[in-house]
Amino acid sequence: MVKGEISNFTAHRSGHWYFSLKDQKSQVMAVMFRGNNGRVSFQPKNGDEVLVRARIAVYEPRGNYQLVCESMEPMGAGDLQRQFEELKKKLAAEGLFDPKRKQVLPKFPKQLAVVTSPTGAAIRDILNVLKRRFKGLEVTVFPCKVQGDMAAKEIREQVALVNELGYFDAMIVGRGGGSAEDLWCFNDEALAREISMSSIPVISAVGHEIDFTISDFVADLRAPTPSAAAELVAANSAEWMDKINQNKRRLWRAMQNSFLYSQQNLFRLKKLLGSPEKLLEAKNQRLDDLRWRLDRLASQNIQSKKQSLMRLRAGLQSPQQKLAAVEQKRKNLEDRLIKQSQSILQNKKQKLASLKSLEQLTRSQLNVKRSELHYAMGKLDSLSPLKVLDRGYAIPLKDKQAIRKSTELKVGDKVELRLSQGKAFTEVLQLEE
Amino acid sequence: MDFEKKIEKLESIVDQMEKGDLSLEKALSSFEEGVKLSKECSEELEKAEQKVKMLIGLDKNGDAVTQNFEMED
Repeated sequence: MVKGEISNFTAHRSGHWYFSLKDQKSQVMAVMFRGNNGRVSFQPKNGDEVLVRARIAVYEPRGNYQLVCESMEPMGAGDLQRQFEELKKKLAAEGLFDPKRKQVLPKFPKQLAVVTSPTGAAIRDILNVLKRRFKGLEVTVFPCKVQGDMAAKEIREQVALVNELGYFDAMIVGRGGGSAEDLWCFNDEALAREISMSSIPVISAVGHEIDFTISDFVADLRAPTPSAAAELVAANSAEWMDKINQNKRRLWRAMQNSFLYSQQNLFRLKKLLGSPEKLLEAKNQRLDDLRWRLDRLASQNIQSKKQSLMRLRAGLQSPQQKLAAVEQKRKNLEDRLIKQSQSILQNKKQKLASLKSLEQLTRSQLNVKRSELHYAMGKLDSLSPLKVLDRGYAIPLKDKQAIRKSTELKVGDKVELRLSQGKAFTEVLQLEE
Repeated sequence: MDFEKKIEKLESIVDQMEKGDLSLEKALSSFEEGVKLSKECSEELEKAEQKVKMLIGLDKNGDAVTQNFEMED
């Protein structure tokens, strides 16, 4: 294994490489044949420090020694890898990669900063994606070198400037694909610290999918490529469009429901109220009724006013009329008085006449009654028990009671006999039925 | 009102309408406002023109000085 710096490098047409390897003290000729150099992963150039596996041979035409190289690695490649791992470990230990530190992309970024080369593929890819997906986003390019010794410093300064200006919603930091050396600036520790301190969300987009840099770990979001970074920012705008459309649909549906509900409500109320025509008919009828009543009341009122007017008019007479009326009244009264006196007189005359005829009637009736009385008295006399006694009958009396049956008596009873002339007192000796 | 505020307003209108306790009149005016907002928001998203600037330095106040950025084809 030999370590040295390449000089006098020549890639011959034959495909073989010829060069010198030198260190501080000495120099040796070297060759790497085509079969071997095809496996070398990088293009060596003058000044490169390399580590070669070689055997010593003598170049007979010139008679000097040379190295025949079998493999070649750039010096420091291993170093770089080691440095990368060490820095990653260190920053991780400090917590710079902590998911809790990650800022969330704003829902609706309006100002985007892109820290990259203005001439690189990255900015072109980013703008193409944004143009297609979200034109409304304002983009400001923060130009910087993205490879070489000055790159890390320039990138870091632009990231700091974006924060200083402050009005950006997000920033993309990155570049397109390249060799590990090309991307190396994104493994800078100072840049990593600047990114981790950014108060504006940082999307790191360096190289291709397979390339990982310290910037990727420390950024808030890692995009596999610059195009992908642009989509991460712009994807949200598509979501917004979806959201708007979704709200629009919901809005229409809610309005339709509202209409439907109101319609049903109206229908229900209509049913409750009955049809307006019917309502109107009823009202009309009531109106007619009221009008009729009003008319009647009015005419009644007029009638009564007429009457009272007439009464008033009658009251309002001229003195002559009044006098005539009084005269008339007086005459009427006089007439009535005369008529009444005459009729009273007539009445009395008639009464007298009827009394006279009554007296005559009474007198003749009295005569009739008198003769009837005579007749009745004669009849009465013949029927009298005293007349029967005249014919030899006697009335037996016990205790003043006439006796009709022998059973009313018992032996020894005293019986009075009423005779036509006088009485006889007897005693019962024997009874027979 | 900026875009985000408009979207928020639109969403609150839709939420309220979906509750269904608005009078028809209020629902109609809300609907109108919602349609207007969604139209404005859509237009804002669709009709925007891509604006790309490049920072070329800072002025003495520390404000950004920019120029239009044109991609080289």
